[in-house]
Amino acid sequence: MRQLCKGNVAVIKGAVLAGCRAYYGYPITPASEIAEAAALYLPEVGGTFIQAESETASINMVYGASAAGVRVMTGSSGPGISLMQEGISYLAGAELPCVIVDVMRGGPGLGNIAPEQSDYFAMVKGGGHGNYRNLVVAPASVQEMAELTILAFELADNYRNPAIVLTDGYVGQMMEPLDLSYREIVAPQKPWAVRGTAGTRKNMVSSIYLESDDLEQHQRRMEAKYIRAQQTETRWEEYLTADADLLVVGFGIVSRILRSAVDEARRQGIKVGLFRPITLWPFPSNELAAAASRTERLLVVELSNGQMLEDVRLALDGKKNIEFYGRVGGNVPSVEELLGKIEEQTAALI
Amino acid sequence: MAGQARGKVTIDIEECKGCGLCVESCPPKCLELAPELSAYGVHPARYTGHDCTGCGICFYCCPEPGAIAVYRLAPPPKAVPAVLGGEHAATV
Repeated sequence: MRQLCKGNVAVIKGAVLAGCRAYYGYPITPASEIAEAAALYLPEVGGTFIQAESETASINMVYGASAAGVRVMTGSSGPGISLMQEGISYLAGAELPCVIVDVMRGGPGLGNIAPEQSDYFAMVKGGGHGNYRNLVVAPASVQEMAELTILAFELADNYRNPAIVLTDGYVGQMMEPLDLSYREIVAPQKPWAVRGTAGTRKNMVSSIYLESDDLEQHQRRMEAKYIRAQQTETRWEEYLTADADLLVVGFGIVSRILRSAVDEARRQGIKVGLFRPITLWPFPSNELAAAASRTERLLVVELSNGQMLEDVRLALDGKKNIEFYGRVGGNVPSVEELLGKIEEQTAALI
Repeated sequence: MAGQARGKVTIDIEECKGCGLCVESCPPKCLELAPELSAYGVHPARYTGHDCTGCGICFYCCPEPGAIAVYRLAPPPKAVPAVLGGEHAATV
């Protein structure tokens, strides 16, 4: 059934379909509607919503619910996510699945409440302490806010690891048609969970390994699952890349603007294609390298001063010219602005 | 009040001294003193059986540590399509 829906609300609608029945959070612009929708919908379907006293408290409530074996999530924006980083490290270390939504806003510090993509390093590269990775998906539409939240729950449970829905104030706040096909998912049983029953009495959830060898072994096991994720979980989208001389790369809302700019450039006869990573970790490096092998140059566009740019550079290993264009502070480039950048780059090719 | 009950109260008549503070404090006036005497010779408080909202004010004003227990009753879960569909779509 189609309905007009806000991106942040679509997150919770997806979560309810995915079998999530617990939300612990603290409101923050531009992510507050996630908590608002969770407070509205979760109790109605027999779930739990608690507004915690802080983000630190909410991520630790997530830890507890996840250890008890239920599908659980939280949502916040940059400053709140910074407070949650310790808990995310603990969740990863204890191999607990959960979904965390980061609706990115301008930073650093309090910054402002307008969209930026500057939490890329914090969520994709880590942010908390220790050797761990987050599984990160980046929606670009309201429909994907629901779909990729469902995917995030699946990934989190498959890998017993926190999964992040990394989006921005633009996608979170905009309203678009949402099609929910009501394919309700039954959350999986988790035999490792601690449920206070006789059957789960011997289970243990912890991230402490005092013996060096034990901790090394634990980390090797985590490494193995991260390698498995890198081999099987990359997702991406290509648009008109087959004959492109210039490849533009962007995720989230930027990919939507780039797509319009690509359409406009094509109308002018400029051969340009779009590559959009959908999973930011694991990053689709091989797929990007394959798409870029057919082009002369790349243009990376972000709402940051060049964070995903580093992963693009690693993927191409110095083999291509990579240009960067970023807007920060909450400014979002227009289609004309990006078309101008595409024209600049293709002019350099001639 | 019509509809699904939101709360209920249980009172342990072994603990209740019949002071009546809970009866006075109850916002929906759903507690009363029983006309009969308890084993201690007092009129113990009792729940009328309806209108409790689960607010817990009687629990907080009761001088006895274990006399009153208040339960908040969760409504039965609704079907997911009914919750996520049409009527809420424009409200949030």
